[in-house]
Amino acid sequence: MNLKKYLVRALHRLQKGPGYTYKELLVWYCDNTNTHGPKRIIKEGPKKKLIWFFLTLLFASLVFWQWGILINTYLSYNVTSSLSIGFKTMKFPAVTICNANPFKYSEVKPLLKELDRLIEAALERILQPTPGNSSENLSQPLDLELWNQIPLVLIDEHDKDNPVILDIFETNQTAVGNETALGNETIKKYKLAVKLCSHQGSDNCTYRNFSSAAQAVTEWYILQSTSILSKVPLHERIRMGYQAEDMILACLYGAEPCNYKNFTQIYHPDHGNCYIFNWGMDEEALNSSNPGAEFGLKLILDISQQDYIPYLSSAAGARLMLHQQKSFPFLKDQGIYAMAGTETSIGVLVDELERMGYPYSDCTMNGSDVPVKNLYSQYNTSYSIQACLRSCFQNHMVEICGCGHYMFPLPEGVTYCNNQDNPGWAYCYSSLRSSIKQRQICIDSCKETCNDTQYKMTISMADWPSEASEDWIFHILSYERDMSTNVTLDRNGIIKLNIYFQEYNYRTISESAATTIVWLLSSLGGQFGFWMGGSVLCLIEFGEIIIDSLWITIINVIGWCKGLKQRRARARYPDAPPTVSELVEAHTNLGFQHEAVGAVPGARALPPEPGTPPPNYDSLRVQPLDGLGPDSDTE
Amino acid sequence: PRRYSAMKEYLSELDKETKKALETFYGFSEGKSKVRRSVDDWNRTGSDFFQQIPLLKVEDFSRTATDLHSGQKRKIEGSVFHKDSSIVNSGDSNDIIGFQLCDANNSSECALYTFSSGVNAIQEWYKLHYMNIMAQIPLETKEKLSYSADDLLLTCFFDGLSCDKRHFTRFHHPLHGNCYTFNSGENGTILSTSTGGSEYGLQVVLYIDEADYNPFLVTSTGAKIIVHDQNEYPFIEDIGTEIETAAATSIGMHFTRSRKLSKPYSDCTETGADIPVENLYNKSYSLQICLHSCFQKAMVDSCGCAQYAQPLPTGAEYCNYKKNPNWMYCYYRLHEKFVKEQLGCQQICKDACSFKEWALTTSIAQWPSTVSEDWMLRVLSWDKGQKLNKKLNKTDLANLMVFYKDLNERFISENPANTLVILLSNFGGQLGLWMSCSVVCVIEIVEVFLIDSLSIVLRRQWQKAKKWWHGRQRGSSGKAPQASDPERQSHERQGHDNPTCIDEDLPTFTTALRLPLPQDSPLPRTPPPNYSTLRLETAFTEQLPDTLELGQH
Repeated sequence: MNLKKYLVRALHRLQKGPGYTYKELLVWYCDNTNTHGPKRIIKEGPKKKLIWFFLTLLFASLVFWQWGILINTYLSYNVTSSLSIGFKTMKFPAVTICNANPFKYSEVKPLLKELDRLIEAALERILQPTPGNSSENLSQPLDLELWNQIPLVLIDEHDKDNPVILDIFETNQTAVGNETALGNETIKKYKLAVKLCSHQGSDNCTYRNFSSAAQAVTEWYILQSTSILSKVPLHERIRMGYQAEDMILACLYGAEPCNYKNFTQIYHPDHGNCYIFNWGMDEEALNSSNPGAEFGLKLILDISQQDYIPYLSSAAGARLMLHQQKSFPFLKDQGIYAMAGTETSIGVLVDELERMGYPYSDCTMNGSDVPVKNLYSQYNTSYSIQACLRSCFQNHMVEICGCGHYMFPLPEGVTYCNNQDNPGWAYCYSSLRSSIKQRQICIDSCKETCNDTQYKMTISMADWPSEASEDWIFHILSYERDMSTNVTLDRNGIIKLNIYFQEYNYRTISESAATTIVWLLSSLGGQFGFWMGGSVLCLIEFGEIIIDSLWITIINVIGWCKGLKQRRARARYPDAPPTVSELVEAHTNLGFQHEAVGAVPGARALPPEPGTPPPNYDSLRVQPLDGLGPDSDTE
Repeated sequence: PRRYSAMKEYLSELDKETKKALETFYGFSEGKSKVRRSVDDWNRTGSDFFQQIPLLKVEDFSRTATDLHSGQKRKIEGSVFHKDSSIVNSGDSNDIIGFQLCDANNSSECALYTFSSGVNAIQEWYKLHYMNIMAQIPLETKEKLSYSADDLLLTCFFDGLSCDKRHFTRFHHPLHGNCYTFNSGENGTILSTSTGGSEYGLQVVLYIDEADYNPFLVTSTGAKIIVHDQNEYPFIEDIGTEIETAAATSIGMHFTRSRKLSKPYSDCTETGADIPVENLYNKSYSLQICLHSCFQKAMVDSCGCAQYAQPLPTGAEYCNYKKNPNWMYCYYRLHEKFVKEQLGCQQICKDACSFKEWALTTSIAQWPSTVSEDWMLRVLSWDKGQKLNKKLNKTDLANLMVFYKDLNERFISENPANTLVILLSNFGGQLGLWMSCSVVCVIEIVEVFLIDSLSIVLRRQWQKAKKWWHGRQRGSSGKAPQASDPERQSHERQGHDNPTCIDEDLPTFTTALRLPLPQDSPLPRTPPPNYSTLRLETAFTEQLPDTLELGQH
């Protein structure tokens, strides 16, 4: 009991608020707050009071609505971009040059001999459906084991619902029989497809259809040659590719001569040996401080088209790409072709995009927060989304098929797929590649880089060398390369390249946050001030009132509980001593008010005598008191 | 655009005459075996085409010209339009060739169009007649005359999978004949690619039958492609990219999407619905569509028929010489006006607020390479289903690769720099900073200086009126005021010390002075103090002032 009393007293001491009831509190707040508006509610007459009440309510809701908009704007993390265009001394882009054909045919011929003979025989059969002469052409028996791993089949679609599948070599007789019987006009109904089985000889097979035989042959050849070449060690593959001194005949950077030694060799699975100029790995990157072709990079290349692998790549030319220093060149994505027998001029504009990171946009600064292991880091190159997607694919491939694809770098402790060790790899790869789910996983886990640099190229071409200059140019270049007086070069292999900065060489788009916390605070304050003249202090005042009203609630609840207990006690003892509230009633003289009310009609009856109304001091104010306040007072 | 072999029956007359014209002009005859036909023979056959639009050789600036057809010299009247005015100005006017267009109703009004080169003149002249002829052929026939998807496509490969003609939608272009759109989205599904790179894009080999080209209409060989959005109309003659034969063209794309803010930030249109030009194309709005539609509308209005290169408005038909003999003159006049921005099309049409753009990087490689040429052509011939002895020629083929360079999409959008919210908060910030004021404070000012002062004035007037009324009443009936005197006094007193008086605004010292004092009271007393501490709050809230005052009256 003592404790309770102490507690109640403590509560009262704590609650040094401006009143003991909610109304008092509210009136006090309205009177004393610094927010414009509430003061007028209590200070005005009843009509204006109502108007002011609604006005205040309206402004308060307006403030909250505007605050909602502002906070929403802030949380959307908008950015403003600023664009600048001009010319400045910039790092010359890294230039990667490859031959469209990965290996010299003369070097890889022993490896691909069987394959070439197979495809030639197959084509012979497909194109000339007379059984006699095709078999005569085959001097040696074909290596059908290679064929059976991934066979090409003909699909007969005369009957749409029931296509007949014809193997080109094994069911030779039926195929030929059908074709001759149906004649030439329906020959188009046949389609070539690649048969992919999960295991050799198993029934779990799919047929990859192609609308064109040319496409089918190319795809088949790529699958087969991939399998063969993946067994060859890397240094051997590099040796079989094009060497820098054979390919790069002349080089001039600005006024400085350069040669093939200025190029860094890199082995690219698609294109064999590639050579990168100004990669910036070992030495400082070169700067270019002048626009125009005179100050750019000038190259003369030889792609020796005669030495192309006939079935592997049907397009002839050099593949080149401009990219940032220390980034891996993804030639299939961003590379361009340069045609043989022409001079290709490339004007460069560096298009940079500098993005703010999280939370403004979902990008990554250096790829360290991407959950995919970057396999291209073994080249010591920086992160890019292409590298991430390819690494992601290779990781999946290793996980599902048990071996790595030849086109991508290997994770540690894994070997490349080949037909001997992984007979079902082509099936596995093909199903993985067309799987939408796998792609989606990779796209979701890879992020763009925040700083994206693109090289916008203006490409123009002209015939080179001209008819008149052809002779001497070929002569000199042949002499320089091969030290022979015979002309070893021709129009089908020679390419001239000019790469230079344009008049305006950069266009930078950089982002900055459109909404900062300072902006948010000043806008919030502006709104609050505009509608109600309020500030943070007003908010604190409001919070104070809420705390006060909480105290009042607590006190009321305690009082109510006490009252309940006392009532229960009174019920037990009907002749209980006067309760505290009774005492208080006696003390506070409620009768005064009644008398005053009663006195009004009496006063009216009397001659008019303007009397002074009762003083309106706070202490005298008559309050409907509950049991508690005086209770504690009396005690 | 169309197979020349199939078109021959429609164009044979025109071609014959064109060749003759070439012969008489330049002494050029096609083929060694052909015997030069005499001019008499030609004259006898009667050339419709030359009568319609005579080709002329302008001698010099003296406005005399030789009619090619009859060889007569004639004086040119009316205006002369030079297509290449810069060349004319150079003074070398000996070999200027042009044609004359006359108003059919009023033959004295003629316009002569001259070209610096006969090549341009003959092509333009041929095109006019070609349009005339084509306008008379129904659409189905024209579609049949043009290349089919089977003819055009040899191989197709998209995103690692094979595709065929079913993925292509045909649309008929008036000048280019049948065009095919890959992934037009017309059958509901739009294909998407998830990886950049040439293997994952579209790879097609096109068959271009070079031998079947019309020698006068088109002088370059190849294909034209355009990358566009699914609901965008491809203006292939305006922004198409040319594809070379016997080469692999690789087109890397980079996608940019832009969105502008519409009114009031900039003068662009969201859907084109607010532009008073009817969209004749069945595609979403673009500036190009608007300009073409606008011109076509003007053409129908002033010439009575529609120009062949653009779609038909409802209820109009294409111009042809038989029905509208005057159209060519009209067309040229109108076109000139259009170019000089006199038709108002450029003013009416606004650019679209959002647009998609594909930046293309085009590069060319030799294809097929010398070593693969042999098997490639053989296999492709087999694909085509041709007889094996007829091999395809590599100049009939074009390899095309279209792919995304990277999947980074660039989205450029405008945001308003200042919204209403920002404006208000800046306003509030300034008001608060300098004056510590808010809207409430403004309302208070309005309240005090307008409403309250008005009500004070009104109350004074009311009091005056009341006094005047009472005075009149007293004057009319002498006794009545006497009787009501105590009542009135009590009322006045009440009005004085009744809290209702101070409901609107607290009586200040001066207003209190003005209040009428209770004069008839037996003992003049000082009025009760009017401190606000003395206010009876209970009475104040219970008693409505209006009811009280009304009750007294």
